[in-house]
Amino acid sequence: MTLQLDAPQSPQSPQSPQSPPSVSATGRKPVSGRRVLLRRLTALVTVAGLLAWAADRAVPSGGELVNRGGLALLDDLAATALRPSLDPGFLGVVLEATATTLALALLGTAGALVIGLVGGLVLSDVAWSGALPWPVRAGRLVLRGALVAVRSVHELVWALFFVSVLGLDPLVAVLALALPFGAQSAQVFGETFDSAPDAPLRALRAAGAKRCSALAYALLPGTAPLLLSYSFYRFECALRSAVVLGVAGVGGLGFELTVSLQSRNWGEVWTLVAVLLALAGVVELWSNRVRSDVAVVTCADWSVGQERSRDGGRSPRGLSRSTRWSLALAVPAIGAAWWWAGLSPVGLASARTQDLAGRLLSDLWPPALPEGGLRVLTGAALDTVAMAVLAMTVAVVITLLVGPWAGRPRADRRGPAAWGRWAVWWPARLLLLVLRSIPPTVWAVVALLGLFPGVLPGALALGLYTGGILGRLVAEAWETMDLAPRESLRNAGVPRAISAVVSMGPPSANHLVTYTLYRFEICVRDTAIVGVVGAAGLGRLLSERLAAFDFPVVTGILLVSLLISFATEVLGRRLRRALRA
Amino acid sequence: MSASTPVIRLRGAGRRFGAHEALAGLDLTVHAGERVAVLGTSGAGKSTLLALVNGSLEPTSGSVEVFGEDPAGLTAPQRRLLQRRIGSVNQDLALIEQVRVVHNVNAGRLGRWSTTRALASLVWPHSLDVVRDALERVDLGWALYERTERLSGGERQRVAIARLLVQQPELVVADEPVSSLDPVRAARVLDLLGASPTGRTLMVSLHQPALAREHCTRVVGLRQGRIVLDVPAADATDEALHDLYELV
Repeated sequence: MTLQLDAPQSPQSPQSPQSPPSVSATGRKPVSGRRVLLRRLTALVTVAGLLAWAADRAVPSGGELVNRGGLALLDDLAATALRPSLDPGFLGVVLEATATTLALALLGTAGALVIGLVGGLVLSDVAWSGALPWPVRAGRLVLRGALVAVRSVHELVWALFFVSVLGLDPLVAVLALALPFGAQSAQVFGETFDSAPDAPLRALRAAGAKRCSALAYALLPGTAPLLLSYSFYRFECALRSAVVLGVAGVGGLGFELTVSLQSRNWGEVWTLVAVLLALAGVVELWSNRVRSDVAVVTCADWSVGQERSRDGGRSPRGLSRSTRWSLALAVPAIGAAWWWAGLSPVGLASARTQDLAGRLLSDLWPPALPEGGLRVLTGAALDTVAMAVLAMTVAVVITLLVGPWAGRPRADRRGPAAWGRWAVWWPARLLLLVLRSIPPTVWAVVALLGLFPGVLPGALALGLYTGGILGRLVAEAWETMDLAPRESLRNAGVPRAISAVVSMGPPSANHLVTYTLYRFEICVRDTAIVGVVGAAGLGRLLSERLAAFDFPVVTGILLVSLLISFATEVLGRRLRRALRA
Repeated sequence: MSASTPVIRLRGAGRRFGAHEALAGLDLTVHAGERVAVLGTSGAGKSTLLALVNGSLEPTSGSVEVFGEDPAGLTAPQRRLLQRRIGSVNQDLALIEQVRVVHNVNAGRLGRWSTTRALASLVWPHSLDVVRDALERVDLGWALYERTERLSGGERQRVAIARLLVQQPELVVADEPVSSLDPVRAARVLDLLGASPTGRTLMVSLHQPALAREHCTRVVGLRQGRIVLDVPAADATDEALHDLYELV
C-alpha cells in the first residue's frame, strides 16, 4: 500500500535538480521536499494503522480461526474439480438457468438504461434551457439525493426487499438490478450530456424546434457512442450481479450454485462454475469488442467516471459488422428475454402487492436499534469497515502479483520473449476472470467451510472477488499506457529494466491507488452480500433482521450503511483529488 | 415599404453584461423586405443587437418587438412559433458535428415537424428533395451524406446557410455569415440570404462596407453600443463610414 506515496510524482512532473526553488513558471507554489516526505509519512502511518486495526478486529485474541471440521469438505471440493457432474438432466437445468441469468441481466440493463436516460436528462443542465425556476431546482436536488441513496443500497438488499413484497417473481431481479444501476447510469449520462457542446442545441431551439426533437438532434449523435459503450459495460456488471442475486432465490445460475453448495454436491458446483466462467468470458470479450469499436473507453475509465477516447476519436470506418449486429439484435433479444423470464408487470399492481408494500413502508419508519442497542450496531459497522479494509488488502496483493502479467502484450514485440509473455498472459487473465466471475457469496460459502464465521472469511471472499476486478482495471489501464517515456530513457542509454521501472512505476502506482480507492467504496457496499451468507458485519445483521421481518431495525441498519458509504465516498473523492494535485 | 406592422421595432432597447453596457437606448424600426447591414468595429455591439432581435438575449432596458410581439411576454409554445419565423446564422455555426450533412440541413425544419417525424428522420432522412435543392443552391450538392465534422470551414458555413434555407424564415438574422468565404461565394451567399419570392427581411452584420452597399438596402452603424449612422445603402459612402471605423 506504500505505493500510493509515489502517486503525487507523476512522470509529468519530474523533479530535476535544476528546477528553480521559487515560484514555478505556471505560477503555482512549488512543493517542498519536506512536504512531500511529510505527506508520504502521514499516508504510510494511516494505511499501516488502518491495517493493524482491521487485522486486530478480524482476529480476536485467543479465538480459534480455522475450522478443522470443515477442512475435509474443502478437500472433497478440491478432489472433484476434474469430475464435474455431466448428468443430462442436470445439464438441462444448467442450460435453463444460464438462459434465465442472461435474460434477467438483459432486462435489468434495459431498465437501468431507461432510468438512466430519463434521470440523466433531468439531472443535466444542458436539457434545461436558461435559468431554472426554483421548483425545478429543488426537484433536481431531491432526485440527486434519492439516486445517491438508491445506489448505495446493494442489488442483493434491494432483491431481499422486493422478495418480501412481490414474492419469487422475476420482476424482483429486474427491479433489483434496474434501480441501483439506473441511479448510477443517470449520474454518468447526465455528466455525458453536459460535456457535449450546447451551441447546436441553442441554435435548434432558436429556430423553433420542439424540446424533444432539439435534444435528439443536438445531444444524441455526439453522446451516443459513449452511452453505447457505457451500456455494454453496465451489461457486464449486470451479468455478475444477476448471478449474485441467485442467493435471494430469484433463479438462474446463482440460485443453482447456492442450492448445489448447500447440498454439498461438489460435482454440480464445478459444472456450474465452468458454465459461469464460459458465459462471463464470452460476454466480456464481446462487450470489449463493441466498446472498443464505438468509443474506445476502457472499463477502467468508466468505473472511475473518466471519459477518454483513445486516438482522440472513433475509427473512421464507422461501426464494425459485429457492433451493428449487436445493436440490431438488442431489441428482439430484450423481447425474447421478457418472454423467457415470464415477466409481467401485473404483479406490481396487484392488491396483495399494494397491501404488503403499504405494510412494509409503514413498518420501515421510524427506524429502531437492534437488540443490544447502539453497541451492537456500531460493532457491526466497525466489522464492516474492517472487512472492507482487509478485503482491499487481499485485492491489492492479488493485483500486484497477477496484474502486471494480465496486461495484453504490446503487438510490436517479437521473438521468444514475446511468446513467453503471451504464455503468461493467458493464465493471468484467466485467473482474474475466475476470481471475478464466481460471485462473492460463493467464495464466502467456501471460505466459511474452512474458517469460523466472522470478519475474516467475509474479507477473504470479498478480497478474492475484488482482486479479480481490480486486477483487470489496472491491467487495462496498463495496456493503454504511453510508452514514449520508456523509449526515451532507453534511447538515452538507461538499461532496459531500470528504464521500465522508472517510467512505468509511478503511473502504474497512480492507477492502482485511484482504482483501489474507488473499489474500496464499492467494497464497503458489497460487505452486505457476504453478510447475507453468514459472515460478519452489517450485512449479516441486515439479513437476519430482514428474515425476521423486523423492518424498523432494517431501516436503522440501512441508515448506518448509507452513512458509511457516504463517508467513504466523500473521503475517497478527497483523497483522489489530493493525489492528483 | 409597407405601412403595416414593422418586422423589428426596438424602443430604447439596452443590454448590459454586469457592469459593461453593450447597448444603450437603441431605437430602430425595420419593415418587411428591408435588407439591413449592421456595420461597426469589433466590440461595437453588433452581435448583441442581433441576439436581441433573434430572441437569444433579452434586453435589460427598453423593449424589443419582432413581428409585433415581445418575446419576453409570450408563453413557451407561442414563443416557439415566433422563433420558427426567425432564421439565424451565428459566427459559431452550431452544427451537429457527428451526423451526416443531410441531418444538419433537416434540423432547420424541426420547428415544423412532429417529434415522431423528427426522430424517424434521424434514422431515415426525410424530405431529401428539399435538402438536396438547398445544398445545390450553396454548391454543396455532393455533400448530402458527408460527415459534417469532415467538411472545411467554408463548407460548414454553407451547410449552416442551407439549414436556414429549408427553414424558410420570414426574417433572417445573420452574424458575419460570410467571414470565412471567398469574395465570389460571399456575394452569392448574401444574395441567397436576402432573395426570397415573398420579400424576406434581412439583418446582417458585416465587416466589408462594399458588400453592404451591394446587397443591402439600408446601413446601420454602431459605435460603442449606440446607433451613430442609419442611412439608405446608396448613401453609405466611404466618407460617411469613416467616423464609424475611426479608432477611439
